[in-house]
Amino acid sequence: MGSDPLLAGHIGWVVVLIVVIKVIVAFIAMMVSVLLAIWIERKVISDMQNRIGPNRAGPFGLLQSLADGIKLFFKEDLIPERSDKFIFKLAPYLSVIPAFLTFTLVPVGGIVHIFGHTTELQVADPPIGILLLLAMSSISVYGVMLAGWSSGSKYPLIGSVRASAQMISYEAAMGLSIASVVLLTGSLSTRDMVTQQLGTFFGFIPHWNIIRLGVIPFLVFIIAITAEVNRPPFDLVEAEQELVGGFHTEYSSIRFALFYLAEYMNTITMSAIMVTMFFGGPDGPDPSFLHWLWPIVWFIVKTAVFFFIYVWFRAALPRLRYDQLMDLGWKVLIPVMLVWLLVVAAMRVSRPLGFAMVGLGIVGGLLLYRAIAVGRDRSTARELARPARAELEPPRERREDHGDS
Amino acid sequence: MAQYLPIVIMLVLGALFASGSFVASGLFAPRRPHRAKSAPYECGIVPRTELAERFPVRFYLVAMIFIIFDIEIIFLYPFAAAAGELGTFGVVEIATFALVVFIAFAYLVANGALSWGPKRGSSAPSGMGHIDLKELTALMVRGGHD
Repeated sequence: MGSDPLLAGHIGWVVVLIVVIKVIVAFIAMMVSVLLAIWIERKVISDMQNRIGPNRAGPFGLLQSLADGIKLFFKEDLIPERSDKFIFKLAPYLSVIPAFLTFTLVPVGGIVHIFGHTTELQVADPPIGILLLLAMSSISVYGVMLAGWSSGSKYPLIGSVRASAQMISYEAAMGLSIASVVLLTGSLSTRDMVTQQLGTFFGFIPHWNIIRLGVIPFLVFIIAITAEVNRPPFDLVEAEQELVGGFHTEYSSIRFALFYLAEYMNTITMSAIMVTMFFGGPDGPDPSFLHWLWPIVWFIVKTAVFFFIYVWFRAALPRLRYDQLMDLGWKVLIPVMLVWLLVVAAMRVSRPLGFAMVGLGIVGGLLLYRAIAVGRDRSTARELARPARAELEPPRERREDHGDS
Repeated sequence: MAQYLPIVIMLVLGALFASGSFVASGLFAPRRPHRAKSAPYECGIVPRTELAERFPVRFYLVAMIFIIFDIEIIFLYPFAAAAGELGTFGVVEIATFALVVFIAFAYLVANGALSWGPKRGSSAPSGMGHIDLKELTALMVRGGHD
């Protein structure tokens, strides 16, 4: 079970001080990395599109996101008259606080000794571990949903309804993929996940979960969290051509900034969680000097690689259509991940049971394939029957006035 | 419970940061209210109708189907955390459970509960034919002040 040795014993004021320092350092690191991430995203995308990108504020435009953030403080804060004022003001909190809390789970480095205490280089290591991630991602759905609903405007409403349907759909796939990692670890703690992945196969292949689990859970996870944090190509929430700005259309000034902040924080945290779960977290080659530093370096490098992949997705992939999005989530990711999880569970017990499960999975897949075909036929038949039914029934009176008269 | 102390501190810090930003914004931001600013955004058109509170029932369906899967996942987590001790019994048990949920899922899919988009092979709905484009354009140009 996960537990930080720092908090296991008596909690004196030194311990509290260390905890506060850890939290504040993590907070500042989070803010700085968001500012950098926005800059990197804009720079990389502009490079990929043959543009220059931000280059005025600071060297190479590095301070551009800071300048934008400060500018937003000086912008008028509008609350639409038809909105539900309390919920409208509450929604940014529900979006940004879970983003902060999720990051506390990530193991950033190894174990260090400080002021005569031993502590793990991660903000918190509760026994429920990764369940906190699931809880927080569910709460951030509320942030998005309530933001759109309380705006009292049509585009945010549609955007938020879409967003919440999309987020809960992919949450199921994400949960199954995390369950496979939990299965292998035998614990929910993120620290245990990382320590389990230390070591190598045959001396050179790293003992990481991506290899131990097969690549499928990782692929499902990266797709699911891309949809979960509403990044392109799954950013139907803010499909500009259809929905203006999506759920935060009515938000301005600092409220908008908080949503933006939460989005980038979630992206970075999810990259970090992915590194933790499938790529050994802070695991990596360790030269024999500066022992405490190398894990942190490896962690940051791996996380940065995944953040870059997100940006690359955004530059390279076109946005999905909504039905394609839902089909991918429900009819591909969830069944595949469910079968894979059962196969992994069975293979750990015995080989024959494992192969029996593979057979069961194939039968299930064929059944589902047939079910999808039947479902498509039925809804097509319903659609075709509609004009015929309309001819049989007398037409309803069409209202001649238009709206307000 | 001491393990949750950092999370509580982070919660407080995050809430302080968010509310502090609002206070700062309230101090720095200008306040020049105007009726057009507080109207709902409709791409520059003056809103004339009440907000449509209705959206397709499919979204509710997705929410309900999600609950089925969420419950399955909730049951999977204790199994996953204790799979080592449970052995063959646990695997058979969880496979049976997954099978039951899977059959329900296959039934839903076969009923078209999760079919969204454009139906294949269907023609465009016949309700669109009656709109007179000239009339519609005239209506939009007048802006409804008739």
